[in-house]
This record gives sequence, C-alpha cells and structure tokens, in this order.
Amino acid sequence: MISTITDRLLLSIPVLFGVLLFGFLLLQLVPGDPAQVVAGPMAAPDVVEAIRVQMGLDQPMIYQFWAYLERMAQGDMGRSMISNKAVTEELWSAIGPTVELMVACLFWSVPLGIGMGTLAAVLRGSLVDRFIMGLSVAGVSLPIFFIGLLAVQYFGVLWFNLPFIGRGGPLWSADGLMHLILPAVSLGAIMIGPVARMTRSSVLEVLKLDHVRTARAKGLTETQVILRHGLRNALIPVVTLIGLQAGYLLGGAVVTETIFSWPGIGRLTVGAILSSDFTVAQGAILVFALAFIIINLIVDVLYSLLDPRVRR
Amino acid sequence: MTLAEASSVAAAPAVPPEDAAPPRRKSWFRRLLRDKAAVVAMSVLGIIILGAIFAPLLATHDPYVNSRSVMTPPVWQAGGEAEHLLGTDGQGRDIFSRILYGSRLTLLIGLISVGVGGFIGSMIGLLSAFYTRLDAWLMRLMDMMLSFPAILLGLALVAVMGQGAVPVIIALAISSIPDCARISRGIAVGVMKMEFIEAGRAVGLSDRDLFRKYLLRNCISSIMIFISLRFGQVILIGAALSFLGLGARPPMAELGMMASQGRDYLLFAPHIAVIPSVVIFIIVLCANVAGDALRDVLDPRLQA
Repeated sequence: MISTITDRLLLSIPVLFGVLLFGFLLLQLVPGDPAQVVAGPMAAPDVVEAIRVQMGLDQPMIYQFWAYLERMAQGDMGRSMISNKAVTEELWSAIGPTVELMVACLFWSVPLGIGMGTLAAVLRGSLVDRFIMGLSVAGVSLPIFFIGLLAVQYFGVLWFNLPFIGRGGPLWSADGLMHLILPAVSLGAIMIGPVARMTRSSVLEVLKLDHVRTARAKGLTETQVILRHGLRNALIPVVTLIGLQAGYLLGGAVVTETIFSWPGIGRLTVGAILSSDFTVAQGAILVFALAFIIINLIVDVLYSLLDPRVRR
Repeated sequence: MTLAEASSVAAAPAVPPEDAAPPRRKSWFRRLLRDKAAVVAMSVLGIIILGAIFAPLLATHDPYVNSRSVMTPPVWQAGGEAEHLLGTDGQGRDIFSRILYGSRLTLLIGLISVGVGGFIGSMIGLLSAFYTRLDAWLMRLMDMMLSFPAILLGLALVAVMGQGAVPVIIALAISSIPDCARISRGIAVGVMKMEFIEAGRAVGLSDRDLFRKYLLRNCISSIMIFISLRFGQVILIGAALSFLGLGARPPMAELGMMASQGRDYLLFAPHIAVIPSVVIFIIVLCANVAGDALRDVLDPRLQA
C-alpha cells in the first residue's frame, strides 16, 4: 500500500518538472521584451539594460531556469503586470472559490449519475434504460456554456430569480449558498452523462460475476444484491473516471466561472490572458496543472485503497 | 515454429486477417443502416457538413454585413421576417448565413486538430507497441502530456500566440495525442501478439514492411473509430475556447463565438445565443451517436 503511494509520488516528480519547464518557457515565448515591458515604452535604453541585468535576463537560459526554480520553491511567482499585487496573493484568493465550486458540483452530480447508471443497468433494455442513456449522450454533447446560459435565462431570470453574478459571501451564509447553486448546477450537468454511462457498464459487468449469483442464491432481496454486492464493486471504475474527467471538469470550471463571474482561478486565467498579464496567467496555469496532478494522485491512491487487487 | 510451418506461412497472402473475414466486411454497412438513430445522426451531420461546404452558395446574406433590422427573432416567432430565416444578431447580421459560415470554421477546427493529433498520436502508439524498447519512454511522455488538459493548453498557447483559430487548433491537436497514443498502443499490443506477426518476422520481412503491411493495416480501422469518437469532444473544447474570446477573432464567424456575442442580448433576444449553441449541440450529438454506432458495428472490443 505505502509502496504504491510512494511509487505514484515518485512518478509525479518528472511530471511536475515538465509542468515547471512549461511554465518557464511560456514566459520566454511571450512576444516582446520583458525588460522593456517593465520599464515602459518610453524608457531610455540604459534603463532598460539596467532592468534586464536586475531581472537576470542577461544570463544564459539555464541559469534563468535555475533562478526560476528557486523562486518557485520559495513561492515567489512575481507580481501582476496590471495590479502589481503578488501573483501568489491573487492566486490564493481565487483557489478557495474554485474548490468550493468543484466540490459543490461533484456533490450533487456524482451521486445522481451513479443512481441513474445503476437504474439503467438494473432495467437493462427497458424504456427507462434507453431514456437515461439517451439523456447521458445528450449530456456529453451539450456545450458547457449553453448549459450556463440556459441556467441564467430560466433559473436566474424567468423562473426562480436565483442570483447568477459573482459569489455571495462565505459558504456558510445563506447568500453564499444561493450564489453557489447555479454555477454548481451548470458545471455538474457535464459530469452526469459520463458518470451514468460508466456506472451502467460497470454494474452490468459486476452483476455477471459469481459472487452476485451466490448472493441471489442465499436468498437476498434484489435490492440488497444490487446495492451491497453489485454497486459497491462497480463503483471502483467510476472513481477512476473522475480522475480521467478532471481535465474536462477544470475546463468546464473556466467557462462556468466566466459566465457567472465566479471569482475563481478560471476567471482569473481568462482575464489575465485577455489583458496580457503574463505573470498571473503563468501562475494560474501552473496552479491548474498542479491541481490536475493532485486530483489524479488522489484518485490513484483511492483506487488502490478500494481495490485490493491493485495492491501488491 | 518449424521451418515447414514458416514456409507454409510465407505462402499465405500478405495481409491475412483483413481479407480473412469477408462476410463481416460486407455486412457491417448494412448492420449500421439497421440502427435508426445512427442513420438519422449521420444524415443530419451530412446535411450540416454540406451546408458548411456550400456556405457561399446557400447563404442568403453576407455574414459580415450589418443591417438595420437588429435582433429580429427567427421567422417562426412573432415579429420574425421571412427575409431572415433565423433572425438577426445584435448588429443586424443574418444569423442563418452566419451559422453556415460559422459551422465551416467550427468543423474545420475540429477536423484539422483531430486529424493531426490523431495521426501523430496513433503513430506514437503503434511505434511503442512495435518497438517495445521505446514503450516505457513514450508512454511516460504521454502521461506527462496528459497532465495538460486541452483547455489549459489552449489557454497557454493563446497567451503566447495571441487570440486566433491557429493556437486553438494546435492546442486541440496536441491534447488529442496522448489519448490516441494510449488507445492505439492498446490495440497494437494485441495485434503484435498474433501469430502472423511472428510469421512475418520468421520469413524475414523488414521492420518497415512488417509495420506497414501487418501492424498498421490491422489496427487502422479501430484507431479511426476512436478518432471519430474524439471529434465531438474536440469541437466542444474548441467552441468553449472561442466562447471565452480566446479562439477565432471577430468578424470571423465561429459558432462558439456567436454564442458568446449573444450572451449580451440573452434577456431580450435569446435566439442570438441559443441558435449557435443548439447547432454545436446537434453537431456533437450526431458525431457521438454515429461514432458509437460505428464502434458497435465494427469493433465492439473498444467499448470499455
């Protein structure tokens, strides 16, 4: 067990290195001279030169990369080119809302998807099954922004008057919860389809196994057979699916945050790119990549916890 | 394997399994036609593709020219005009014509990126199955690439290259590589275990011939099905990037961008945002349904 986790941690070191290299190259590839940008367009050539030396831009690339790694290790990502606030500070205030949104979205969509998938598997071939599967294909085909726009239109304006702009406040306040509903519903909608499909095929697979037949032979009720012996084993692949879908979910979060002006990392990234605030954009992209690595790490560990066959 | 066996294999035709199952080949299309949902999906997709190709002939208006009738609803709603079938947008441009031109760009972005990414990815997958020494390295590299989700890569490339369709295509192509590599490696590893590969080696075929005539030909259809299943996803991500204002630049028409322009008029003229979104939905839905059906008919093994 412990060796699985250490293996997995060791494996993520090269990935992390790749991510950092990518972040470094990103700033190198940005058009224009960073020293000139910092000095301003009207600065005298010798001022620009001084800044270049001060920023270490006259050093060979490999030294610059080392210096960059050092700064990253100290948690120094530079300052925003627009607001002049420390990038880490901006990122830190945006992480909370994004995590909040993700958790809220998984909180309702994963159980619902699992329920729908199980129902479809149990009633295989029936109208209910076809309806649920049709719904989930439609779900994977819907553009995430369309779901968001419809949510704003119908739940926000026409029917329920739910708030759809920004974050209301801390999660424990009524206002904060109300503001979370629409973004979480829109983002969760893209998860239901994949989860339902995966659960259905996984439950069908498990129901064929011997231990399920034994459970039936013991005289357990069908509900007990499905819930205790079928679903429990069928959920393992569903956990990995969430890891596989993490990228999709992060992407969905970027769009959802933009539509609902949710003050998270996604909106921060898009705003930074559109306003050419490269240091913030780089930091935000690094945070996203890191989040993706961590989610997959957790999923892998969970997987080996849930499935004794993977442990060695 | 004895010499006698080897020589009898050498006398066998060069592409054994592909021609070995003629009845399956003959009937797969008929079986596909029996699936009504797939037939509908493919027809609708075909119509949309034709509409995109012949956009200049079918468009009733210039998609970039403003007119005085602003925010006209579609023809079936009160206040609609027969002149503008799907109404006009916030700047008075004809939505029907913009949809035709917009789906052109949307489909093109999807096709190019899936084509390029699928080609590179499947080559990597096949090579790592063929040369097992490369396998661990290539797959580690793919794992690393997998940790950059498509939309993130898109954001990064747009940050560097500026807004436009090109960085979006590059990002989508790159992010298609690892998935395609993994799937095609899985397919190819199965094929590499087959006896005819060993037989090919035994009769002294060059690596090149073995790779092209034996491995590639036996994997290609499964790989193509997987790539077609990816098409819908790629279109969705591309449209999302355009929606964020990071993809195609105005005045170019692109479906995701049209939806985002319609966002400002959502309350009084919802059709401006809804129509392009629905078109994207239909394209992706049809691609998914058709891809699923193709997979079920041609290669049920992929169903995992």
